[in-house]
Amino acid sequence: MAKILLVEDNEMNRDMLSRRLARKGYEVAIAVDGREGVEKAKAGAYDLVLMDMSLPEIDGWEATRQLRAAAETSALPIIALTAHAMSGDRERALEAGCNDYDTKPIELDRLLSKIKALLPGAA
Amino acid sequence: MSAARHTAERLIPGRGSLARRQAALLRLSTGIAAAQDEAAVYRAVVSGLHDEALGYNFLGVFLLDEEDGDRVLQASVGWPDVPDAWRVPHGRGVSERAIEDGELHYTPDVTREAEYLPSLNSGSEVDVPLQVEGRTIGVLVVESSEPNAFGAEDFEILTAAARQAGIAVGRARLLEAERRRADEHKALLDTMQDLVGELQLSRVLHAVLERAVSLLGVTGGEVAIYDEERKELIVVASEHIGKDSTGTRIRLGEGAMGAVAESLEPLIIPSYHEWLGQSAQYADVVVHSVMAAPLTIGRRLVGAIATVHADPQRGFGPEDLRLLNSFTPQAAIAIENARLFTAERQRAEEQKALLDTMRDLAGELELSRVLQAVLERAVTLLGVTGGEVAIFDEERDALEVVASANIGKDSTGTRLAPGEGAMGAVAQSLVPLIIPSYHEWLGQSAQYSDVTVHSVMAAPLMIGRRLVGAIATVHSDPARVFGDEDLRLLNLFAPQAAIAIENARLYAAAQQQREYFETLVSNSPVAIVTLDHDHNIVSCNPAFERLFGYPREEAVGRQLDSLITTEATRSEAVAYTTEALDHPVHGIGRRRRKDGSPVDVEVLGVPVIVDGQRVGLMGLYHDITELLAARRDAEAANSAKSQFLASMSHELRTPLNAIIGYSEMVQEEVEEMGEPGLAADLQKIHTAGRHLLSLINNILDLSKIEAGKMDLFVERFDVGEMLDQVATTVRPLVDRNRNALVVERDGELGVMWSDLTKLRQMLLNLLSNACKFTEQGTVTLRAERVSSNGRAGRETLVFAVTDTGIGMTPEQMDRLFEAFAQAEASTTSKYGGTGLGLAITKQFCHMMGGDVQVESVPGAGSTFTVRLPARLDPLPADAPEPN
Repeated sequence: MAKILLVEDNEMNRDMLSRRLARKGYEVAIAVDGREGVEKAKAGAYDLVLMDMSLPEIDGWEATRQLRAAAETSALPIIALTAHAMSGDRERALEAGCNDYDTKPIELDRLLSKIKALLPGAA
Repeated sequence: MSAARHTAERLIPGRGSLARRQAALLRLSTGIAAAQDEAAVYRAVVSGLHDEALGYNFLGVFLLDEEDGDRVLQASVGWPDVPDAWRVPHGRGVSERAIEDGELHYTPDVTREAEYLPSLNSGSEVDVPLQVEGRTIGVLVVESSEPNAFGAEDFEILTAAARQAGIAVGRARLLEAERRRADEHKALLDTMQDLVGELQLSRVLHAVLERAVSLLGVTGGEVAIYDEERKELIVVASEHIGKDSTGTRIRLGEGAMGAVAESLEPLIIPSYHEWLGQSAQYADVVVHSVMAAPLTIGRRLVGAIATVHADPQRGFGPEDLRLLNSFTPQAAIAIENARLFTAERQRAEEQKALLDTMRDLAGELELSRVLQAVLERAVTLLGVTGGEVAIFDEERDALEVVASANIGKDSTGTRLAPGEGAMGAVAQSLVPLIIPSYHEWLGQSAQYSDVTVHSVMAAPLMIGRRLVGAIATVHSDPARVFGDEDLRLLNLFAPQAAIAIENARLYAAAQQQREYFETLVSNSPVAIVTLDHDHNIVSCNPAFERLFGYPREEAVGRQLDSLITTEATRSEAVAYTTEALDHPVHGIGRRRRKDGSPVDVEVLGVPVIVDGQRVGLMGLYHDITELLAARRDAEAANSAKSQFLASMSHELRTPLNAIIGYSEMVQEEVEEMGEPGLAADLQKIHTAGRHLLSLINNILDLSKIEAGKMDLFVERFDVGEMLDQVATTVRPLVDRNRNALVVERDGELGVMWSDLTKLRQMLLNLLSNACKFTEQGTVTLRAERVSSNGRAGRETLVFAVTDTGIGMTPEQMDRLFEAFAQAEASTTSKYGGTGLGLAITKQFCHMMGGDVQVESVPGAGSTFTVRLPARLDPLPADAPEPN
């Protein structure tokens, strides 16, 4: 099953989303800030990253740019998660190097369809 | 007053300010009026126009030589190489045109004209005909070395100058002719004096007396002439009465001649020494009987004649009286001729003296004094009893008497309506009038019923065709009448009085203008300062003194920017000032008061440009220290509010996300575990959480819009796809009240460049409202692409959301788009919602260059229509379209 790295500082959000994804059969790893997110993504072999954008240490935008800059993670699919449906967030996320974005609170079905679309073999 | 006037005069510095131009025109006008002869008029015109304030540098006056058609230079300024009395031949120079048709001619570029005379300037030229009583006598030529140098204002000034010069020349010529006539008249009378002088009169009277004595066969006799002023007879011829009585003065009633002079009837005294009326002066004469007769012209006494018998045997009878009467007319005529002659000579002398003194009047500016002097001279010169001068008040449409002399009352201050009395009549008809008998005249004014006036001559006072006043002269003596000669003399004075009135009016207008401007500036709450080219302060108003703390005396002459700036703001201020010399500048800056305290000001700098030439600039300062402080406070408060709302909504959303997320997650788990009751409760928690979230989002949106921090993100999207997404999203809401959703697409919808997220939010909002207020009905979403005003690329997308729900009354619709204004409070509890959705929709529409409208019938449903431009420029709406 696909391995997903969830980078999220809020404990409840992290717990909730990881459990829901796990129930859908994904293997979920956790990072609690941007720095840890970048380190784990580079170290482990993940199929996809769910990246919260407002993170301590380094934020989601910067973390994404660092992952894109590194050879081993330059092609790793990243879905940005932003707080409110802000106009322009999508552009900013794509510009920073994300493959897609979704808004919180999470609508699970919508997020799952975006995850499936980006996983290998989906196309 | 004088200090204040000083300020106003200097408020606009340099050449050509309105006040300075008016002052120059007044000097010109006074100069022309003061000219004592024709040559002086021409000199006054050119020197008056050659004024810094008017800016005419090359000009001259030519007179037309009627014999050969040449123009002969009379006076000029700025042409160094032309000879005196320079003749411009017929056919050369553009100035001939003005002479030919009597109109002003403007030649913007003389070098393009065939008649161009290369010896003069090669720029533009204005030629104004010089006219005297409608006849063109010459031309005023004004040149510039630049082409296209003159405009409408110049034409006005030069026309006025030429007109005044024409009047002055007419008057000078008239005066000159009159003085010549007076001179000739006096010379003639002086010659006649020698021929038929007083010696001649006494010789005539002696001859008459001698013939009477011999014809009547009497002993002797006397002839006396009557001195009207002293009411006495003076004996001028005396024969054989026992003494030489020549030179004896006899009162009326005294002696024989005094008796007949009084009774105007002849008298025979049979025995003089027994007669009671005998005069003591004649007590020693050798006289027995006397016959005396008055000498009269008509009924007017001019003298008396007496004959005497020394012989007691001789007496006088009717035959003697008849014989005497045949001599009396001859004597009377001789006396009257001599008297008239003397009077005429005296008058000629007076005339000459008066005409010589008229020049003294010109140039005097105090109107009532000038007019009184003009009137007094007119009265003396015309030999009339008295007269009046009145000024025409255009505003009141009435004459006001300002000078009055000897008409039986002081009429000064009397107001006459047009047509009232003699002056009112001429003010209306604009032609002179002679009234032989005023008290029988039908036009007489009730205000003049008490005057001692017999006949009247009145004339209007005109400047060109404009009435400025009226003059009247009167005779109280019924024997005196007015004739053409009097009218001619009166016309000598009329122009002078008219010019005096006009000058006074010009002066008053200039004064008023100055005072008006001065009041405006000194009472203005805005600080006003004027500067010269070097940024030095020329003047400032009290508001400037108050704002910056510098008294005027201290400010004037100093550089503005070194006075009221700090080191930090100096360069910015100097840049403003320098720029303002060219064109108006407007800005906000910080300046420094005298005490060093800062003051925030709104600055308006305006160049002062007169006749296309910069003369300096005017600066206006408005104290906005408090305004700026208030704005800073408001901005700080607003920023704090936005910050608070942003962090607040974030803080609220984090726990809310947990509520929504966990309730949804647990619901899924419970459903899998087969607990439908618990799942329904969890669904309620989830729905309430979602509602709360949308409320928070709406409040955040609205506060962002109000703070101006809601940004637009324009992207390109397919309208049809967007509609599909919206329809899918809204589906659960449609189903809830068992409504049907119809999506209608009118024609090709194409793509839009707009804020997709906001458009989607608006449509979802309208659809969700429609679903909420409709049960088992139909909700229609219709979309159409229309071209606006037929212009390609300016297309509009129209989205209409129609429901068959409860609808609204007009009153409800009024407040529909205001925040927190759901039609009624009760609907909130029944239908839910925040009351913010439509307010946000409206704001979004405006941001996106469109609008939203509503139509509704209570009970039948509502239609909300959103119109948005198909292509929204991310730039301001009036910026050019991207290609």
